[in-house]
Amino acid sequence: MVATFDDAALQAETTVASTATASLQINVAVNGTPHTLTVDIRSSLLDVLREHLVLTGAKKGCDHGQCGACTVHVDGRRVASCLTLAAQVDGRQVTTIEGLSPRDGSLHPMQQAFIDHDALQCGYCTPGQIMAAVACVQEGHATSTEQIREYMSGNLCRCGAYVGIVAAIQDAAAKMKQV
Amino acid sequence: MSDMPFPNTPRVDATDKVRGAALFCADDARAGMAHAALAVATIGRGYVLTVDTSAASAVPGVRLILTHDDFRDVKSAGFIMGGGYGFQSLLPMLSQAVAYRGQPIALVAADTLETATEAAALVQATYEAEPFSVTLDAPGIEIVNQADTPLKNFFPEAIAGDADKAFEEAPVKVEATFTCPPQHQNPIELIATVAEWKDDKLIVHEGTQNAEAIRHGLAVALGISPEHVEVISPYAGGGFGLKNSLQMQTVLAAVAAQRLARPVKLVVPRTQVFHDASFRPATRHHVRIGADRAGHMVAAIHEVDAQTSRHDLFPGEYASTSARLHGFEHFRGHERLVRTDVQTPGYMRAPFEHPACFAMESCVDELAYVLGQDPVALRLANDTAIDPISKLPFSSRRVADCLRRGAELFGWGARTMAPESMREDDGTLIGYGVATGAYPGVIVPTIARLKVTDDGGVVISIGGHEMGQGIRTALAAAVSRKLGVPAERIEAVIGDTRAAPQHLTAGSWGTASAIPAADAAAESMLTALRELASGDISASQTPAQILKAAKRSALEVEVQTKAPGQPDAIFDRLRSGLVSVGGPVYADFVTFSYIAHFVEVRIEPRTRRVRLPRVVSVADCGRVVSPLTAASQVRGGVVWGIGATLREASEVDPRYGGFLNADLAEYVIPVNADIGSIEVEFIDEPDFKFNSAGVKGLGEVAMTGVAAAIANAIFHATGRRLRDLPIRIEHLL
Repeated sequence: MVATFDDAALQAETTVASTATASLQINVAVNGTPHTLTVDIRSSLLDVLREHLVLTGAKKGCDHGQCGACTVHVDGRRVASCLTLAAQVDGRQVTTIEGLSPRDGSLHPMQQAFIDHDALQCGYCTPGQIMAAVACVQEGHATSTEQIREYMSGNLCRCGAYVGIVAAIQDAAAKMKQV
Repeated sequence: MSDMPFPNTPRVDATDKVRGAALFCADDARAGMAHAALAVATIGRGYVLTVDTSAASAVPGVRLILTHDDFRDVKSAGFIMGGGYGFQSLLPMLSQAVAYRGQPIALVAADTLETATEAAALVQATYEAEPFSVTLDAPGIEIVNQADTPLKNFFPEAIAGDADKAFEEAPVKVEATFTCPPQHQNPIELIATVAEWKDDKLIVHEGTQNAEAIRHGLAVALGISPEHVEVISPYAGGGFGLKNSLQMQTVLAAVAAQRLARPVKLVVPRTQVFHDASFRPATRHHVRIGADRAGHMVAAIHEVDAQTSRHDLFPGEYASTSARLHGFEHFRGHERLVRTDVQTPGYMRAPFEHPACFAMESCVDELAYVLGQDPVALRLANDTAIDPISKLPFSSRRVADCLRRGAELFGWGARTMAPESMREDDGTLIGYGVATGAYPGVIVPTIARLKVTDDGGVVISIGGHEMGQGIRTALAAAVSRKLGVPAERIEAVIGDTRAAPQHLTAGSWGTASAIPAADAAAESMLTALRELASGDISASQTPAQILKAAKRSALEVEVQTKAPGQPDAIFDRLRSGLVSVGGPVYADFVTFSYIAHFVEVRIEPRTRRVRLPRVVSVADCGRVVSPLTAASQVRGGVVWGIGATLREASEVDPRYGGFLNADLAEYVIPVNADIGSIEVEFIDEPDFKFNSAGVKGLGEVAMTGVAAAIANAIFHATGRRLRDLPIRIEHLL
């Protein structure tokens, strides 16, 4: 059976969808740019970043907070954006991989270190790894290889680039201190 | 032909990847996109009687609901290993039949993902349930001798001499049974499709290892010309065999996009990926090795039961690799396929070779202990230059070099032979284990177009898919060396059916197929440039300078390459999107890649937790074209081996069908804290018999043998032979 809907029905439904119970207005700064957004109350921060703001660096690998590919910073702390309702970031600052370094400028030391140590293969988990890695250093959790391994274990890399990731974080941690 | 090792070339797409600027299929977030979600069957087998979509269609924003009634004009694109294009022959929703739990029964498309997800969950169905079987020993399974099926013509049993007689007569015998569970590839990128129709042309964006199979498979399924289908896949977020063919969601998304006259994005949730795409089948291995008292392996027998689906025979190629590990005088391989009620299992990194090497190399370690011989020395004494099955010479085989170099790097000499003989003061048990691995050397036909322009640009359009293995970087390195153009100026257009025919990229044949083609294209370009300059060019002149001097804006050449002995008709097969593999047995030689792994395990005395502080791996993959990405490939393969040995199992539910642990929290893959030091070296000796670039495959051989090396190290630490994967803490208590 095919169910299709005519334009009149579409109009009526749009009205329903935009009632207060289904959507919510939020003010959020993403990568320093303020946005006023009307979001579905069920929307995750990840889906709003990707589908509404077209910031697709953060990736969906599980949608359950299990893989870390969606890691972004909210007020400087790393979060799984797939487990964060968009409604929760009202009034907050969100930083994504796109905001880590200027679009046409030089790379963040962590991004450069990931290249230098070949800390990536397919690249799909990489934006999440890098956002987690920057937070890992800022939290003070990058003081030894063992500590880095523990504090980076929320970010899965199926290609198995873990050795390179640890080396990159050690390298970048020293450089981030100097900055 | 250059015989020089290659320098390190940085991964050419790394900058885009660290910026989050590499665009994967689901990153297409255009306005007007409809989002689709699937409702799936909740029975293990049977029929859908009714599908109630009334609640789903009442959700505001739902635009389309499709069920089995809507696919009357659609047909199956066939099974990739049965002359077709799909990961299985069964395309869901073509009928009311349910072959396995989790099979899609309805598609919902809506304006937003949230709406589609909500509505799909509201689809209600009634069923007629039938009994089902999901394990190797369940009542109702059906066992098929592979040699009694047409598969025998493509995958003949590996048999040489009279292994049963030789085993019976051997003075030293070992015999054991090993099991490997079903496992799922789980690349972090989910399987997903963005489908769009422009006039009568279907454009599909999908992360894949096989754009051409998607193209031709869609054409067959929808009854349209392949000329009207384009498949674009510049990046796959990991493949590992999962993305090697037409997926089930691609056709569904294409039909939805056509009905809606809108682009449709269908991202399959992780739980559904466990049930609606391929996986590594469960296997059971019965291995026997007979040796003389000096340790010469006179006979080996490797019998395998491997899971398949009710609707397809997924071919098993286990013993054809274990037969090549050592110089067995007599060998007999035998594969039986066990039909169960699941989606068709398929290829997952080192699909046959990982289980086969686990079983055979564990058994070789058992033999070493029966003989009281050092496991490295036993393997070195059983090396061979001649293939035990065909009796042809190997084109190259440096597994002994891998063993010797690995032993040296690892410090194998410090090992004491007796189990439980090495421990820390706190009682931590230490075990050293070794094993080798092998993987067939195969090549696929490849068409390459190379274009240089007077602005210094170089574009190579070629068959191949980038899924993290670094084929873009290898192509850039090869073309850069031939043309003297910096690697960063070389653009590789791959994974795009508009650019060149796209053969499946899998089976570690990517580099061995694409690099000789790229080399040949560059040679052809140099010839064309010489002609353009009437032979008057110097080594320091760039292609752009030659073009400018000749007042030409661009020059393009095309070449095609294929495996030794393949007929020219293979290029027609390539253009049809069909698997066109040549090897590993050629007219005059046999080719395999090899690796040796050395593993240290530490087992905590109270918890019996297994840790792996270090691994040393030395690989023989012929010439290494891209050392940096190659080393990453091997480390990745070792991580896969660790996961397959100590962590990963897809838990089957015999009560309800399907898989129980169908997400990334319950299906446990290695995390950063599981991985210690992984030291990698290459023998880096070219194999010019195999191809003009001297390269053999690497991505898969990297994983082979890891499981046995770990299990052997655990035996060395504890005295326990553990023959069922995964090995977990409870098995060591």
